[in-house]
Amino acid sequence: MTADLLRTAAADLRDIQPPLIAAMLIGACITKLARVRRTGTQATGSGPAGLFPPRLRRRLTVALCAAELSLGTALVVTLLPAGTRTGMPLFAPRAATGARVAAAAFFVVAAAALLELRGRRPDLGCGCFGELSGRPAGVRPIARCAVLTVAALISLETPALYLPPRGRGALLFLGLLCAELALIAALSPEVSEGLIRLGYADPCELRIIPTGRTLAALHRSRAWRRHARAITSELPIDMWRELCWRYVVFPYREEDGAAENEGAGAGDEGGAAEVVFAVQMKRRRPAVRVAVVPLATGETAPTAEPVPHDRGAARGAIRLSTHV
Amino acid sequence: MVGQHGDLACCVRCVGPTAAGRLARRAVLSAAVHPRAADPQRAAPAARPSVPPGTGSPAASSRPLPAGPAPAAACPVLTGTVLDTSPHVVAFLDGDREQRVALSPDASIWRGRPADATFLEAGDSVVIRLLPGMRAVADRIWANAGRVTGLIVASDRDGLLVDEGRTASHQAVVIPPRAAGRLQVRFPRLEPGYLLDVIGLRHPGYLEAWVPATSQPAHRPAAAPAPGLARTRVAASIPGSASWHEPACAAEAAGVRYPALDPGTACLEHPLPGSPSPHLPYLSVGSLLRVRNECTGTTGGWPVSGCAATAPAFCDRCVTCGTSPRGRLASLPMASFVAMGGDLERGCFNATVSVGQPS
Repeated sequence: MTADLLRTAAADLRDIQPPLIAAMLIGACITKLARVRRTGTQATGSGPAGLFPPRLRRRLTVALCAAELSLGTALVVTLLPAGTRTGMPLFAPRAATGARVAAAAFFVVAAAALLELRGRRPDLGCGCFGELSGRPAGVRPIARCAVLTVAALISLETPALYLPPRGRGALLFLGLLCAELALIAALSPEVSEGLIRLGYADPCELRIIPTGRTLAALHRSRAWRRHARAITSELPIDMWRELCWRYVVFPYREEDGAAENEGAGAGDEGGAAEVVFAVQMKRRRPAVRVAVVPLATGETAPTAEPVPHDRGAARGAIRLSTHV
Repeated sequence: MVGQHGDLACCVRCVGPTAAGRLARRAVLSAAVHPRAADPQRAAPAARPSVPPGTGSPAASSRPLPAGPAPAAACPVLTGTVLDTSPHVVAFLDGDREQRVALSPDASIWRGRPADATFLEAGDSVVIRLLPGMRAVADRIWANAGRVTGLIVASDRDGLLVDEGRTASHQAVVIPPRAAGRLQVRFPRLEPGYLLDVIGLRHPGYLEAWVPATSQPAHRPAAAPAPGLARTRVAASIPGSASWHEPACAAEAAGVRYPALDPGTACLEHPLPGSPSPHLPYLSVGSLLRVRNECTGTTGGWPVSGCAATAPAFCDRCVTCGTSPRGRLASLPMASFVAMGGDLERGCFNATVSVGQPS
């Protein structure tokens, strides 16, 4: 009984390796590409690419991404069975073995490169998972490479992809999968960094929010609805940001009723003014504040570029903003 | 959808008078919508703010400027073009007005290096710091001082060509043989792709570099390590350093360049490509910035006039009086820098920057 259980566990452990390794390789490739896309460059030359001259780093990173993607795809594709019935042999057994040997060789080379990196540039991160691998390469990434090498080697005789068994077999299968994932997570400094980023909320002063989103939030707000009738241009005449607020200014024609609502001020008899909305730099439900500022005596409405509006009282507006 | 486009040049030096008036009005408008939080002097008396229910009072979330020790008065500064010099008096043209200043016994003159008054020549452009409380007695004089800060884009035997940002033309730098050794100690890689920050004598069309303003980062800007995540709220006052630049026009001389302009309202100016984020609160042109010289206690306030495009690329520290906790936060025009007690040949002073705006 125990021997059977051990035999089943060994077989399950062997069978889960190719998809797991493929997921690791493709995930590593995606995070590296995400970094290149975000920064426009493999900025720091982190990882073993940092051992090479700067002009070669980008090419090396791209080559590494290509190798990871190719290996991951090959591992997944060669797992396919020759038919649709359970227990069918591999579609291309030799290619499958080749892909797994290549994956093992890849991890051996990676471990050697990380050892070299640790010796020559201990300040650099391993770069395995892009921005998540910013900490100096320690023992854990090297141990992870060793574990994955062993995983690739024990999976050489893996059969074609099949559905996990049911009942107690499923529990054993899932238990083994979770145990291996836990081992890899323990050997991955990227996990803690990833968790930090998942729960990260940037300070509002540093938050980047597109202007289109600010305007959309403004148009949904109660403050906008209250003043929309008196706004004489669809386009804001100015927009800027200070700390946690983005300010949007529109030309405004004060009406008698509006003036009464707003209280005393220069606009009691109606006249040219500007309405400024302050929209909080918040992604969801930002606060919106508003103030109507009459144009000072002698100050005329800007007329550099007339912007027609849909309510008849055409009025010039300097167009500091443009449609995008 | 509307967004601000490069057509609105965000830096003061690029905009026409109409748009400059628009920029000046920003202070009035932001004071109107945040009346108590803004500087009382900037508040619009005729404005009528209205706060929608549920959004809180502006005063409730306002963040007043931090109270610090009483600021020292800024030193009076004169600028102009030298007409005539003698060992004790310098005559110069300040705009259309001829002025004379006497040299105090301890007065020092800098013209690429410490010099006597006799080294000044007619036509030299001077910045003169007067003795406090004395109307026409010079404490320090800088003649033809200039600075080039940026990325080397070309180099040959005759000199270097430096990129100072998208809105500035490339600057030519010539290194005299006598200064080459001193400069190369701090800037060992005078080749394209590396940063340069030198102070020297301004000539028509080029700068004769004499003094290194800082040390060269060992890496190219694009290879700078990515900064960590900002995990806490940005402090109201940020200690760091302030540097100086040559203002491109009179309008810019009344402002301060700041390295973190809002990328959403995309202006022409951006930090040098690849520069790490400075982790400074985003502002726009026209925002009020207060700078305190931690070495002298002098405090001044200016509107932001443009982007300090090269500041984030230098992850340096100023050591004028102790080591600044972080790098460059602002770049002042030459005269403002001197008025704040800075010495041009040093390139920076330890500074604390604060933004007097609502949070």
